[in-house]
Amino acid sequence: MNLLLILLFPLIGFIINGCLAISSTRNGKKISSQQSGVVATMGMVLSFLTAIYYYFKFAGFSGETKLIEQNVFSWIKLGALHVDFALRLDPLSLTFVLIITGVGSLIHLYSIGYMSEDPTPAKYFSYLNLFCFMMLNLVLGSSMPHLFLGWEGVGLTSYLLIGYWSQEPKNILAGQKAFVMNRIGDLGFLIAMFIAYKYVGSLDLSDIQKSTMSPHVMTVFCGLVFFACTGKSAQIPLFTWLPDAMAGPTPVSALIHAATMVTSGIYLLNRISPLLLQTPDVLFVISIVGVTTAFISAVIACAQKDIKKILAYSTISQLGFMFLACGVGAFDAGVFHVMTHAFFKALMFLGAGSVIHALKQEQNIFKMGGLSKKLPITTITFVMGWAAILGIPPFSGFFSKDEIIIESLYSPNGNQILFVMALLSALLTAFYMTRLLVLVFFSPSRMDTETESHVHESPWSMIVPLMILAVLSLIGGFWHHSEGNHENSQTIMIASVIVALLSAGFSFYRYRKFDKEELTNQFVEQGLGIDNFYNRFFGRGTTRIAQNFSRWIEEGLIQNGIKFCSWAVELSGNVLKSFQVGSVQAYLMMMVICGFALMVWVLQEVLHEVMIYGK
Amino acid sequence: MNDPWLMLIVSCSVFVIGLLGVIFRKNLLIVLMSIELMLNAVNLSFVTFSKIHHVLDGQISVLFVMTVAAAESAVGLGLVISLFRTLKTADSDQIQMLRD
Repeated sequence: MNLLLILLFPLIGFIINGCLAISSTRNGKKISSQQSGVVATMGMVLSFLTAIYYYFKFAGFSGETKLIEQNVFSWIKLGALHVDFALRLDPLSLTFVLIITGVGSLIHLYSIGYMSEDPTPAKYFSYLNLFCFMMLNLVLGSSMPHLFLGWEGVGLTSYLLIGYWSQEPKNILAGQKAFVMNRIGDLGFLIAMFIAYKYVGSLDLSDIQKSTMSPHVMTVFCGLVFFACTGKSAQIPLFTWLPDAMAGPTPVSALIHAATMVTSGIYLLNRISPLLLQTPDVLFVISIVGVTTAFISAVIACAQKDIKKILAYSTISQLGFMFLACGVGAFDAGVFHVMTHAFFKALMFLGAGSVIHALKQEQNIFKMGGLSKKLPITTITFVMGWAAILGIPPFSGFFSKDEIIIESLYSPNGNQILFVMALLSALLTAFYMTRLLVLVFFSPSRMDTETESHVHESPWSMIVPLMILAVLSLIGGFWHHSEGNHENSQTIMIASVIVALLSAGFSFYRYRKFDKEELTNQFVEQGLGIDNFYNRFFGRGTTRIAQNFSRWIEEGLIQNGIKFCSWAVELSGNVLKSFQVGSVQAYLMMMVICGFALMVWVLQEVLHEVMIYGK
Repeated sequence: MNDPWLMLIVSCSVFVIGLLGVIFRKNLLIVLMSIELMLNAVNLSFVTFSKIHHVLDGQISVLFVMTVAAAESAVGLGLVISLFRTLKTADSDQIQMLRD
């Protein structure tokens, strides 16, 4: 068995689908979503099976030896810098590989049904496969440049898939926004990489983990890495791209913007966790940013009307919980929440996709309602996802979320403020999720009769992933052996469940008979004006600089420079043209003149002497 | 007649006359004749130097030059005739195909 196989299967799927997409645009032959979808899904399933093989192989190993390294080829050799293209599998990356390939396979399968009416499914599936390939590079790479390759690759595919329906200018803008926001974060990653090269002398992640930098350098390094994570994982201050990223197809939102790509920040923080534990300042900032993000986005989610936007803000909020876990030093709890969140949030996104598919692209929850009778399976699975995110035992969210809440109070870096904020966020989560659930599935129908008559349960390829993810949301919590032996942890668990249930009950009572559109606070609905703030303080200035550059540098310097070059060439051409008269005798005359000049030049010394002796 | 300088001056004048003829005369036959004039001017200087240095090499060169000049004038005349046949003119101003 070869580690490379995990990477290779999605890559092969990407190449096949890419060729299909190109040939179908060339000869105009339409490719159905079944054809390309089966290829793409096969690639992911094979990759998943390989990962399963390694899971069982690891089960046979003991503690410290759970590490497989494989050098593929020597990648960069520049003086002292030597980077191998090497893969490294340890329990952390194995967890991520299993999530990516497992949830990825289900979402590929789901996409076959969801994209059945799309004109270019081969293109879609090739992007999706490329994304999985890049994401696997991110978690399997053994060095920072390799990680960065995956990091940028997932950013690229995220951009491509957000703007997949490129007929709408709005979607393209959303893709650009995501890309630019990610680039800002990537700058932190790049500088961190330079620092690592200067002060560690190696870019290998295990060398960096073991390195002994001075405390200041380490703080800067960790801070920059964390800044990169805020971009990719949509935390304050770079979180505003994620709600706009919902412009992409819903399975994409489920895979990239809920289950995998946005959790790569958690992965990176875990990778450098030995360094983070030595820099309490950075850890403190991470926990504050995490819990603030969790709270603020939960507030914004309460005022949203678009089903996908609610889930997007919910994702940001849950990512905030994961960052909080990392910030208080409970890295395992963070990764555990990544896993359970991947299950239940992918489930909810796919459920939302099933609803949107049934209602012909309607996304406003106030134009839905009463769907539980028409979409029974979607409803049951969505309720299971809802129970998981609320943290109702024995659903998976209960174990991971409550562990984070407990750690935020009891771990050495935790304190009461973090704990209260986390609990409040959990309360709000219960509120807006119940609001979503009730308004979509249980309240009286607010659809027009035209749409209502067409509502139908989704095809099997969409239902099966929903059911599998629902089961995983139910049992996913038992994979982790939580220590959970703080003295009051049971009290806190019970308290948080009661808080969630009370909030859910209030929400249910409020929305169960809603039959009109809710008047939400515009300011909150627009994301607390943060987009406006960024536009005013960064967007405008940057645009002005860019405009000035375009005027003075581009038009002034470059364009005129090129004009001058062409003018000089033309002038010299005109001068030389006058010599080309075509008459042999004219040429001969020039030859004679030049020959004479040459002779004078060669013989000038001789002539000089002749003149002297002549006297 | 024994002054080699005089011989050289004559040779030089004849050469320049020939050169000017080649450059400025428009009739190709005259141009050819001017070329012959230049060759003969060179021959004269060869012989003069041969006499100054008392070496026979120059006189041998003259024989060579005369042979080549005969061949050259034959080829040149042939070219002029063929040009005249195709273009119906022997005026060098009319022949400007090199420019196109």
